[in-house]
Order: sequence, then C-alpha cells, then structure tokens
Amino acid sequence: MKRICLLIVTSALIVAGCGGSGSSSSASSTGSASASGSSGGHVNITLWHGYTDVEGTAIKALATQFNATHPNITVTPQFYGNSDYALQKVLAAVAGGKPPDISYLYGSWAANIATNPTTVNLAPYIQKDPSWNWNDFWLAARNVTTVNGKIIGVPALIDNLALVYNKKLFAEAGIPLPTTDWTWTDFENAALKLTDPSKKQFGWAYVNDASEDTVWRFWAMLWQAGGSILSPDGKQAAFNSAAGLKAMTLLQTLAKHNAIYLDDGSDVYPGVFNSGHIGMLWTGPWDLSQITGHQPYGVTILPADQNHQTISGPDNWVVFNNGSARVNAAVTFLKWFTSPAIDLKWATMTGDLPLRASVAKLPGYNAFVQKYPGIGEWAANLANATQSRPVTTTYPKISTVVGQAVQSVLLGKADPQQALSQAAQQVNGILSAPS
Amino acid sequence: MTARAEVTRGVDYRRPSLWQRIIASEHLAGWAFVAPAVILIAVFALIPIGWSLLLSFQANNLLAPGHYIGLANYKALSKDPQFRAAIGHTIVYTVIFVPVSVLGALGLAVALNRKLRGIRFYRLAVFIPLVTSTVATGIVFLWLLDPTFGLVNYALHALGLPQQGFLQNPNQALYCIVVMTVWGWLGFDVIVYLAALQGIPQDLLEASEIDGASKWATFRSVVLPLLGPATLFLVVWSTINALQLFDEIYVTTRGGPLGATTVLVFYLYQQAFQFFNAGYGAAIAYVLFVGILIITLFQLWVGRKRVYYTS
Repeated sequence: MKRICLLIVTSALIVAGCGGSGSSSSASSTGSASASGSSGGHVNITLWHGYTDVEGTAIKALATQFNATHPNITVTPQFYGNSDYALQKVLAAVAGGKPPDISYLYGSWAANIATNPTTVNLAPYIQKDPSWNWNDFWLAARNVTTVNGKIIGVPALIDNLALVYNKKLFAEAGIPLPTTDWTWTDFENAALKLTDPSKKQFGWAYVNDASEDTVWRFWAMLWQAGGSILSPDGKQAAFNSAAGLKAMTLLQTLAKHNAIYLDDGSDVYPGVFNSGHIGMLWTGPWDLSQITGHQPYGVTILPADQNHQTISGPDNWVVFNNGSARVNAAVTFLKWFTSPAIDLKWATMTGDLPLRASVAKLPGYNAFVQKYPGIGEWAANLANATQSRPVTTTYPKISTVVGQAVQSVLLGKADPQQALSQAAQQVNGILSAPS
Repeated sequence: MTARAEVTRGVDYRRPSLWQRIIASEHLAGWAFVAPAVILIAVFALIPIGWSLLLSFQANNLLAPGHYIGLANYKALSKDPQFRAAIGHTIVYTVIFVPVSVLGALGLAVALNRKLRGIRFYRLAVFIPLVTSTVATGIVFLWLLDPTFGLVNYALHALGLPQQGFLQNPNQALYCIVVMTVWGWLGFDVIVYLAALQGIPQDLLEASEIDGASKWATFRSVVLPLLGPATLFLVVWSTINALQLFDEIYVTTRGGPLGATTVLVFYLYQQAFQFFNAGYGAAIAYVLFVGILIITLFQLWVGRKRVYYTS
C-alpha cells in the first residue's frame, strides 16, 4: 500500500513536472482552437510580434479596432519576446505544425525564410487586387519583401540613416550647420574640426563591431560614391572599385585623426552624443527617443559624393500557411493594417516612419511630424533610399567579410585597397560556392 | 521489503501475475522516482545530442527540410582556415585560463582558510562574481575597459602610462576575456579548495609541525598532495568550461575585433544561427565534443598516476 502511495506521489510529480512546459503548450492550444473556429465562417488568426511599450499598446489598440470593424475575423496579437530571437521561435512553431498566421520578422532573414515551404507567397494576392496600391510602399521596403519574384511579406517597418548633428558643438567650432547641399568634403572638414582629443570630443561615431551595423553605413557611403555591392548579375563582388576605395579612404582618414568615436557594438554612442562628446551621427529614427532632450540637435540628409543616397533596413510581416481561410484573413488584416490611414495612425502612435509615400499627403501628417521633431527629415529621406542590399541567402556571410574589412581599416590594421581586394576575393568565393 | 518476503515465501500460492510483480518490484518505485529527471534529461539533452549528430551529416538551414551529404561537413571543416583560427584561439584561451584560475584559487583559498576578523566578508567577496550574471559582468567590463571613457584607461592616464585598446584591440582582446572570465569563475574554484583544505586532518598538520617541517615544507609535502583530488577535479572541470567558452564572448566582443576572440563555440553559433549552416555548426560541435573527450580522458589518466589520495 505504501508503494502504491509512492507511485501516486511520483506520478503526480511527473505530471507537475510536465506542467512546467504546459505554459508554452497553451499558446498552441489556442492555435488549434482557432483552427476549428475557422470552419464556422468566423476566422481566428494570430499575429506574433516583439512590440513593447508604446508599440505594444498600439498593436493591441489597432487589432481591437480591426476586430470591431471586421466581424468575420478576429486577430489576436501575441508577444513573442525580443525580435532578435523570433526566427528560432517561429521555426519551432512551423516544425510543430502550428505556425502563427502572421509574424514580424527581420528583413535580413527574408531570403532564408523564402526557402521554407510554409511561407506564403503573397504575389498572387497582391497582383490580383490593385487596391493594395503596392508601389506606394517605399522601394527599399518592397525590395526586401521580394525574393526571386516571390513576395514573402508585407512591409512592417522602414527606417534609414540620416545625419544628426549637435548644434552647440558646431557653434563652438565656428562651422556652419550641415545643409542638404553638403558634400563629403564639407563632412570631412567638419568632422576633423569638431575633433578635440583633449576634450575627448569626436567629430563622428561609427559602430565598429564588424556586424551588419558596421557594414550598412559603409554601403551608404559606397552608393553615395556611385558604387554597387555586387555586379548586376549578382555573381561577383563589385565594391572593390574606385567608389569603394573612396569610401574606405574617407573612413581611414577620419580614423587616423581620431575623428571617429568607435562604438564597440554595445550601443554606447547615443549616450556619448548626449554628453556632448560627438559632433555628428549617421543614425536612424530609432535613436530619436534616446537623444531627445539632451543636446540641441538637428537632422538632415547624408552628405553627397555623387549623390545623397541612404540605406534602409526594412522588416516584414510574413504570412504562414494554416489553410486558405486563415491565409485570406491574414492578407485582409495586413492590407488594412498597412493602408495609408491606419499606417499614419500607427506612425503617430509609435514614431515609426510611414511605410507608404502617399501618407505624407494625408491631412494628419503634419501632426505626426510635429509630434516627433526630426522625424520629418527621416521620412523625407526615404526618397534617397533607392538601392537595397542583396536579398540572398549568402548575404549574412558577405556582410561578415565586409564587416571585417571595414573594421581592419578603422583600426589601422589594413590599408583601404588591401582590405577591399581581400574582401572582394572572399565574397567571390562565397558567391561561387555551391549552396 | 515485506512484500518481497511474502512473494518469495509464498511457494504454495499461484505465481503472481505480471502486473502484480511490476507493482511489487522495487525497480518500479525507483524508476518512478527518477522518471521526472530522466524525462527532462532525455528531452533536453539526449534527444538533441542524437539529433545534432544526424544534423552534422546534413546540409540543413533549419528553415527548409535538409538533405544528407555524408561526411561533407567534416571534410569542409578540415580545410576551413577560420575553423583552424578558432581552434587556435580556444587553445590559447584554455592554456592561460586553466592554470591562472586554478593556481589563483589555490592561493586565495589558502589565504582565506585562516581565522581572521571579517573572514566571512572576504569569502563572500570572492564568491559574489560567480553568482553575478554573465551579462552584468560583461557590461561592467565593457565599461571599465572602454578605451575612451573607461576607468582602467583613466587610471593608466593618471599614472602616466599609455592608453590601451583592450577589448577593441585585436592583440589584447582575448587576454582581456581571460581576465574577465578568471574574475567571474574564481569563486567556484576557491570554494572547492576551501572545502578540501578544511577536510585535511589536523593531526597530519600537527605531526609535520612536531617533525620540524617548515610552513612551506608542510604545504608542499602534506597539504598539496592532499588537495590532489580537488585539483584534478578543478583542472578537468575548468578545461571543459574553457573549451566551451561562449557567453562572455557573446556579451562583449562577439568574436571580434577582426575575429581575434572567435573561439570554437562562437564560430559554431555564427555558422548555425547567423549563416544558417546548421549542419556545419553541428559538425563543429561534434569535433569539439571528441576533442573534449580526448583531453579529459588524458587528464584523468595523468591524474590517476599523480593523485594518490581520494577524498
């Protein structure tokens, strides 16, 4: 009898032990409930996101608004934690057969996500419905949704790099403030004049951890100098060019004169800028909330060599296949959610840039620009984001190679031509390797 | 106990059914007790270990179904210069980390194994880094070692010494990681040594004192040999930990600058989760596993010849 009691106790323990993991299975049980719900004409779909704070409130509010106006569909936003780790979680859900209907995923994953058979190609939905007004989305955002002719997502976020400058430091150094006519020469001279080692003051800041954060700023410079990343057929590296050399040389010159604050990748530079030790940043609207209220700052477009191009890092809403009823519902939601009026509402609530060009013509746009000083410059700068990084599965490897090249120049370990030649050779090796 | 006695003595009864025997068996209760742990270990350790072995024979990006490619991942590894560089960094790190942390802990443990005022405070101070999260440790060191605004360079400047790049200098970064991890892990080694020191019988120490041995001779000939089992354990354990270094790198340098701190497990992570070469990453994991196994067996073999006492 004692033994049977023990068995009962231990089996209770096992059940309790399994109960620990039960919290995660509750998410999937709602998934199956919604699957059965779709048979009755009413469709329940889930949307996975990593929004917190203002954005978290906004996504809930807009989902509620959608549900109220669309009686046949119920969208349930679910928080998946930090977006950095979303891919692993979504993949686990896909492997488990219960993917979310919609998930926020980084644009840099697009080419790899396209290889997954559960990812829905949205091209047929968008092509047969002109009211999507697809070309109204900014080009840079559209580029990242498109992989080999498939459209694997709807733009979810768009940003770009603009020049943010400390007005006080410019005044102290006696330099006129940056304008939209600024050239690289103006930029270089200003960066050197703003540098003062005795005050630990730097003209510019650069993220020097060899990650994509290091690389994309270099791409912007490469494009400004008239260069391209890859050859038109995408089979050869093209950055080892006169334009590439010019960009690398600018980095080398400024680094040699200690005019660049090298951030180690742990996001120190906004604090250093706020303390008045950095004259200029090339950064995006995500830093706006951090730098507001410290130094008097201004925002303008990046300086030009041949042109004023910038770079954008868009993210996507990706739809996963849970049967046609739910796919249709997901498409209906995304079309509504990214429509100009709702997009402006979202932008006003969160401070994110509008996804569509036409949003700037809406009557509420002025209120948005006034709510976030500086955001208007970033929004207008989207017109300068005319090129995109290659959307290929090998891009992460290319990025790593170029990141090392830029870092070696910034640290003075290689000269520009040597770094470019070596990187181009490695990238050609990556591109020619059988996948 | 009583149940078994009944079964064995009850010859005139009919043989109990299988169910009764299962219920009566002590094995069942035993297995039931360990079942929660066994299930957890199976789900979170054994199945992934087996699965990653299969993965290492595949071209798999974890996104689309993979396919088997035989030993191709392992063949590619043998020609991969970055893999070789990662092995080099891992070995340099291990060769410095293990002796420094074990010898450092021995010294500290001896120093702390005394009756001093406030000894509890000192012991606590040594132990605290161990219970501090790696992320916090990493961020603190990033700040301390910041080339422009860090406290360490400030101190060097005050002493008139040249400024250093530390974690941002490819020639210094790996050594900074050694310092950071020794600081973080020393507490554990000290605790083990302290326990071992306090387990040394007082009469042996008294006997050597009566025999006229100096303090150093006592330490060398009595204390040190008796600490043998603890030392062996710490060397094996620290080596395994050092070869699997990842968290500290992930939080601070992310393998840089210029790949100077790309150790094996970080390279594995890059391949599997940044470049989507999960099969290749799994192959690296298995090479590392075999390496650790060989090194550990060697250490235990040496240990058996050199360690005379068992605790």
